[in-house]
Amino acid sequence: MSSQAKLMITLLLLGNAVLVVDLLRKRKLTESYTLLWLFVLFGTTVATWYDRFLIYLTVFFGAIAPVSTLTLLSLAFILIMLIFFSMKISRLNEDLKKLAQELALRTVSIPTAETHPPGGEKGGGDPPS
Amino acid sequence: MRGLEKGLITVSAFNEVETIGGVVREILDEGLGCDIIVVNDGSSDDMESVLRALPVTVLSHPVNLGYGAAVQTGMMYAVRHGYDFLVLMDADGQHVPSQIRFLLEELRRGKDIVIGSRLSDNSGSYRIPFFRRAGIRLFSFLAWILGGVRIRDVTSGFQAMRREVFTALSLEYPVDFPDAEVIVMLGLRKFKVAEVPVIVRERQGGVSMYATLGTVLYYPFKSLLASFIVLLRLVRNRKGG
Repeated sequence: MSSQAKLMITLLLLGNAVLVVDLLRKRKLTESYTLLWLFVLFGTTVATWYDRFLIYLTVFFGAIAPVSTLTLLSLAFILIMLIFFSMKISRLNEDLKKLAQELALRTVSIPTAETHPPGGEKGGGDPPS
Repeated sequence: MRGLEKGLITVSAFNEVETIGGVVREILDEGLGCDIIVVNDGSSDDMESVLRALPVTVLSHPVNLGYGAAVQTGMMYAVRHGYDFLVLMDADGQHVPSQIRFLLEELRRGKDIVIGSRLSDNSGSYRIPFFRRAGIRLFSFLAWILGGVRIRDVTSGFQAMRREVFTALSLEYPVDFPDAEVIVMLGLRKFKVAEVPVIVRERQGGVSMYATLGTVLYYPFKSLLASFIVLLRLVRNRKGG
């Protein structure tokens, strides 16, 4: 990989790191996700500059250039993250459903004698035999 | 097994302002001796104010959660208030309250859950469109193959069930299109499932949840996948002891 490519990748990763930290500062991202992204960005930077492992992987995958391997690994990582976030969203949906149901069960609106005097509507009586 | 003394009728409703009043009054007029609740699934129309004028208990979801979630909320209410049996009805006016008696008769004969079938000669003037009828037949076949339950109309939301059934379903119930999947689930758990022919009317208002193109494309695949997953979970649970 050329020095120019390494520099461009590093700048891109640095930009991402600044963005992630800024999102944490604005409370739009939690510490756990910020750490995850920072570790990934750091790992990618290391792999870019100390590219012996990347070259080994390139040979292993049968790719032409280390940049292709990096792209492949990025794609795999993005797919894993998407599955992870789909799981998170599913979990949040379930939590939201439970909360909304619990709220409905606790704030149940029952007709009172004031609003609905007895005999006002038909109903009740013996169950059908 | 407990008796069938204390009953609850739960009506799940989403944007059914045109029909909900009539449906509730018709149930009250039947004098079935059951309590009635309406689960308002986050309606954006004026249904809430219509419901306040009616002598029924109302449970309101703060947001729209889906038909299955509304049904499940009704089941959770029934479990917490110690009901012996539960009747599920839709709020669009298709289900005729006078038919509840037939469901309860079958329940009293020892069945765990009874489904009001629209696929019979006695179903009144209601006609199911061709493609929906084909879909129902496909999922009925699926329920038979996977769950061992032989009923014709697995997609009917007009049901009566015992406490054992709604207690189990209150813990796990699909959010959307809880049709074949639920029947498979009940069949695999060895509940006694039956169906009785009921008179059904045309929808009196509102829009069917099966009406959009997205639903038509999503529904069959979702039901197929969900039914297989139910089977897979059971096999895994049995292997795990």
